[in-house]
Amino acid sequence: MSANNENIEKSTESAVQVEPAHKAAEDQSYSAIVKRQFRKNKPAVWSLRFIILIVIIGLSADFLANEKPLMCKYEGSTYFPVFREYIVDLGGSWPKELSSIVDWKTTEFDYAIWAPIPYGQSETDFANANYASPLDDQNVKSRRWWHWLGTDEIGRDVMSGMIHGTRIAMMVGVVSMSIASIIGIFMGAMAGYFGDEKLKTSWANILLFFVSLPFAFFYGFQIRSYSIGEAFANSLFSALFQIFIGIIIFTVFIFIGQLIAKGLNKALNLKANTNVPIDIIVSRSIEILISVPRLLLIMSIVAIAKPSIMLVMVIIGATSWTGIARFTRGELLRVRNLEYIEAAQSLGYSEWRTIFRHAIPNSLAPVLIAIAFGVAGAILTESFLSFLGIGVEAEVATWGKLLSLARKNFSAWWLALAPGFAIFITVTIYNLMGEGLTDALDPRLKQ
Amino acid sequence: MFKYILTRILYFIPTLLIITLLTFLLSQAAPGDPVETRLQGGQGAQGGGMSEKQAGEQAYIDMSKKLGLDLPPFYFSLGSIAEPKDLYKIFRKKERENLARLINKYGNWDKIEPYYESIKAFEVTLYDIERDTNSYTDLKILKEGINNLLNNYEEGKVNNTLANMEQAMNTMSKVRVDSNTIIERNYFESSIPAFTAMRDNYLAIKANPSVWKTNIPSIKWIGTGNQYHVWLFGNKPWFSKSKDPSLKGGFIRGDFGESYLDGRPVSSIIKDALPITMSLNIISVLIAYSLSVWLGVFLSKRKDSKLDRVLSIVLFILYSLPVFWVATIFIVYLTTNEYGMDWFPTYGLFSNDLSDDATFWEVAKDGGAHVILPILAMTYGSFTYITRQMRGSMLAVLKQDYIRTAVAKGLPDNKVTWKHAFRNSLIPVITMFASLFPVMISGSVVIEVIFSIPGMGRVGYEAVLARNYPVLFTVLIFSAVLTMIGILIADILYSVADPRISFTKKK
Repeated sequence: MSANNENIEKSTESAVQVEPAHKAAEDQSYSAIVKRQFRKNKPAVWSLRFIILIVIIGLSADFLANEKPLMCKYEGSTYFPVFREYIVDLGGSWPKELSSIVDWKTTEFDYAIWAPIPYGQSETDFANANYASPLDDQNVKSRRWWHWLGTDEIGRDVMSGMIHGTRIAMMVGVVSMSIASIIGIFMGAMAGYFGDEKLKTSWANILLFFVSLPFAFFYGFQIRSYSIGEAFANSLFSALFQIFIGIIIFTVFIFIGQLIAKGLNKALNLKANTNVPIDIIVSRSIEILISVPRLLLIMSIVAIAKPSIMLVMVIIGATSWTGIARFTRGELLRVRNLEYIEAAQSLGYSEWRTIFRHAIPNSLAPVLIAIAFGVAGAILTESFLSFLGIGVEAEVATWGKLLSLARKNFSAWWLALAPGFAIFITVTIYNLMGEGLTDALDPRLKQ
Repeated sequence: MFKYILTRILYFIPTLLIITLLTFLLSQAAPGDPVETRLQGGQGAQGGGMSEKQAGEQAYIDMSKKLGLDLPPFYFSLGSIAEPKDLYKIFRKKERENLARLINKYGNWDKIEPYYESIKAFEVTLYDIERDTNSYTDLKILKEGINNLLNNYEEGKVNNTLANMEQAMNTMSKVRVDSNTIIERNYFESSIPAFTAMRDNYLAIKANPSVWKTNIPSIKWIGTGNQYHVWLFGNKPWFSKSKDPSLKGGFIRGDFGESYLDGRPVSSIIKDALPITMSLNIISVLIAYSLSVWLGVFLSKRKDSKLDRVLSIVLFILYSLPVFWVATIFIVYLTTNEYGMDWFPTYGLFSNDLSDDATFWEVAKDGGAHVILPILAMTYGSFTYITRQMRGSMLAVLKQDYIRTAVAKGLPDNKVTWKHAFRNSLIPVITMFASLFPVMISGSVVIEVIFSIPGMGRVGYEAVLARNYPVLFTVLIFSAVLTMIGILIADILYSVADPRISFTKKK
């Protein structure tokens, strides 16, 4: 560790020396320094631009690749089928004239504007089934309908799958890292701020915690286990909603227990003199989570449930918070000894207010590094799981799933190259982002 | 030091306990009935007579006992006061789950139990019914009805089934007694009392619900006679040599149970798989460390040269290459004649056509050709990672004052590099071993699955897909132990490499 710190100090020293004197008038706030540092790192800046591009592709995937026309005139009236599909998904209905259309490609429109890639992610083009190569002749009307990245065994357009896979990759990053950040920052902050000695409570609180635990679990989850199970069979969102309600009930019961304990403390004049070794608890759970092979653990959880890409994201998030927790813990260990925290404490702010309003916001910057690398890891994990065919719905195209098709037919070289390259590029840019952030956030570490 | 290692090993215990609990919870949540999987369709005796039915039932019970599934799951159970303590004695998982749903719906076990028993009693009376072409259809309806009743709890479905069954019960068949007399007769007359009792019992459940009971929690203590305890610690007395198959040694005595699929002992599966994964990983770690430490030092001494810059970019790209993509590319391009590069065998660890009396060299050559690509795919990731770290840590050390001193007093360059700088820069690289090890174990899942190498990763993957929990448990626990040992070794090496670090003193 010592070598590392010295390394960091050296590099910040040199960074300070590079700053010319006439720039001293520049904004010297922390975020401004970080921004300047980050801008100097060309690869990181480029990867940030690339990430924005991925987000744009992911958000507009339906407009970039769709088997329906973006706009069409049919029997005298104009429609926007792709937009309409969103309304249908939200519970609306197709206009009567369009609802009878089964195959959009063979329908005679007065005119139609198609998406740049006029194929859906699960649409099968029978004329080009059985691995149509992008370089050989394809059975299409014109270049407009060309399969730019070929097709798979049943004639699905690979380019369309790649575009829709971008959305999945983007969502994997966002969903899993949001979950991981919430758990990781909370756990790390608790461990770092309180350590092993600072969180004191009375035995009544601990006793009532353990007494209220079975009640909380019973009313929160056990009693509702059948409705949670049915929600899982319906959709993941309803399941998450049910679980969310369960967590609320659970918390309410724990809270009631603590209220009673508070009363007891007052009545019996109990002192908060029992240590809760929160740091040991958190560190040990991190150790346990690291010891279990994560891939097998995620696989065994996902294999039980109905295939759902959202579930995969949630589970990746729930198992990959350890890095973030470690970073936050380290930061909080440093921050908790700073003067302004002491000031907050001496002003009589509650511990929770000090942690959430003052300590955590000031230690979030380094956590970004862990998140950047975490996104890369989450995308890798997800694509490997879909590569194995675990946890993906049949109609969803992901990069990993496309790559797995390459193992079925070795002559389809485009299936081995395109999706793998997309995964590689995405992982690389997130890694570059992580490195760029590490460098840019350095000045902070010299304090 | 010894004391430190001992405490660390003691720390293994809670970690392992939590992992066993976690996997046990998973196995409890998994759908499907392992006993039926093992028996391959436990209800196969459906169409037969009484004795076959009983034989089927007995086989089911025996298999449950053999797999240790005839016990309550855990030391205690948290449930409502409506749930009876001995529900686990209903052997068939589907029936048990259906009864639990009924309890959840009505809350009156004292009425549900007679209902369940009367279904079984009614089923027994059906075996006395004469079977011929007249009774065949109705008998079939009744048997399907019983199956429906045992597996459904919704009021509508049960009522429907009961109505269908009643109709079948009351069918009057025309039976030709001799050439000119035809009488009408009901085949099911003898079963009618049992059927009425069953229907009345169901009505009684609906008439006297006590749903409030399902809202009151109760913790029931079960004791050590539970699935988890028996699986982990066994129920065979220590040092007994009893061969009774229902007595188990338990996980900690090396009895890992048997595969749900084919009944093969898990220990023998692991015995085949573990050495493969271990040797692949060890070879890969050795290659990665020996090459990358050297390369890291080499690059750090030529900092900012053209070679250094080019190699740094190459290493970064290699680092970001997903293993399963590289492995797929290897397989697609290098193992078949499709692209004219049929240089390596595609799958497995040895060729199938390797004769039994092959000489050692033939075996070694064949195995070697098979493992080159997997090892390459396993190694490049950790190789690039370590090289980058080694280069960085070496650069940091080379800036130190004591290195300047060493150079200033005229020590030869080699001596400065290897004696002064190298040893100090090795420390962070050694600690990396701890974080590298779990990654490598996960990585071997990827490699083994893609290259079809029968190691732990592949065994675990197949166990996940088949919900073969005894195997999955064992793989998870073995991997966890390996990981923890790896981390421990890294910590010990750490103190060996850096004498300033001592684990015995307290901060």
